[in-house]
Amino acid sequence: MTPYDVGLAALRAARYPEQAPALPPRSRGVIALLEQNCTVCMLCARECPDWCIEIDSHKETVPPRTEHGRPRVRHVLDRFAIDFALCMWCGICIEVCPFDALFWSPAFEHAATDATALVHEREQLRQWLRTVPPPPPLDPAAEPSAERVAARKQAG
Amino acid sequence: MTLADALGQELTTSYGVVVGEVDRTRWSEVAAVVRDQGYSFFDLLTAVDLEADGFEVLLRLWDPVRHEGVVLRTRCPRDDARVPTLTPLFAGAGWHERATAELFGVAFDGHDTARLLLPESFAGHPLRKEFVLAARVAKRWPGAKEPGESEADLATPSRRRPQPPGVPTGWGPP
Ligand code: SF4
Ligand code: SF4
Repeated sequence: MTPYDVGLAALRAARYPEQAPALPPRSRGVIALLEQNCTVCMLCARECPDWCIEIDSHKETVPPRTEHGRPRVRHVLDRFAIDFALCMWCGICIEVCPFDALFWSPAFEHAATDATALVHEREQLRQWLRTVPPPPPLDPAAEPSAERVAARKQAG
Repeated sequence: MTLADALGQELTTSYGVVVGEVDRTRWSEVAAVVRDQGYSFFDLLTAVDLEADGFEVLLRLWDPVRHEGVVLRTRCPRDDARVPTLTPLFAGAGWHERATAELFGVAFDGHDTARLLLPESFAGHPLRKEFVLAARVAKRWPGAKEPGESEADLATPSRRRPQPPGVPTGWGPP
């Protein structure tokens, strides 16, 4: 069965649209943006094979925190948009983001009758965050997470 | 008789696939021999653009009894991009040759390859390496901006901008 078949079977089993379907873990519906984590590094926009991520930002100077400190330059996000008319759901943007600012959401009901409405700006990408599920637990035989190993070590 | 005996040449194995290189003058003759060795199922025919080395046309045949396949390859130069048709051997090769003809601009001697996928008005052969992808010309690469830059900053000439990966120089909006 392809992922598509799994999704379709879930829709049928749930009598969609009266009932929400039970989608498999890690279903890819739409991409959500956690702006607080985004440092405007441009990696996702550069790696996206379909060129569908548009980012604008500007520089701001942060005054020094201490007396002898230096002012620092910070990048501030102005625009973040994903064109889902171009997107092919490869997930590369989410994989490459070094700061965990992008997430898969299983929300799939964002069809539009106009292709320009498939360009989701940052407000809409932020809204999708509420539909991002917590990561599924590790498989029983999986290796323990790096955090857990470190915590165990510390506890002795 | 082994396939190599029938072909009168050594077969090589490339990525686990048995491959025979064929001169294009013997293309349909060799395909017929291989077919009669049990590889009777026509699987696919397509081409590869090798740029200065011309085009490689490749054919995959399958033996439905022994469950194994073989790939035959032939070359033709760029300025004489033609190979003999296989349609008298495999009627199913017709669509594959039509698609290869319009996408790569390779002619199949003995087969009047009508358009299969592209509209009649389409100019050029989109799977040739020199074919410029309209989608890559119409849109500017969003990754050209550096962190801290916006649309307006692109107008000001600056030091060398990063180039989109995989897009040849000379493409793209000026
Ligand atoms: S999922 Fe793939 S195609 Fe879609 S925005 Fe991310 S990198 Fe681009
Ligand atoms: S890769 Fe992540 S941090 Fe970098 S610009 Fe994209 S979303 Fe922001």
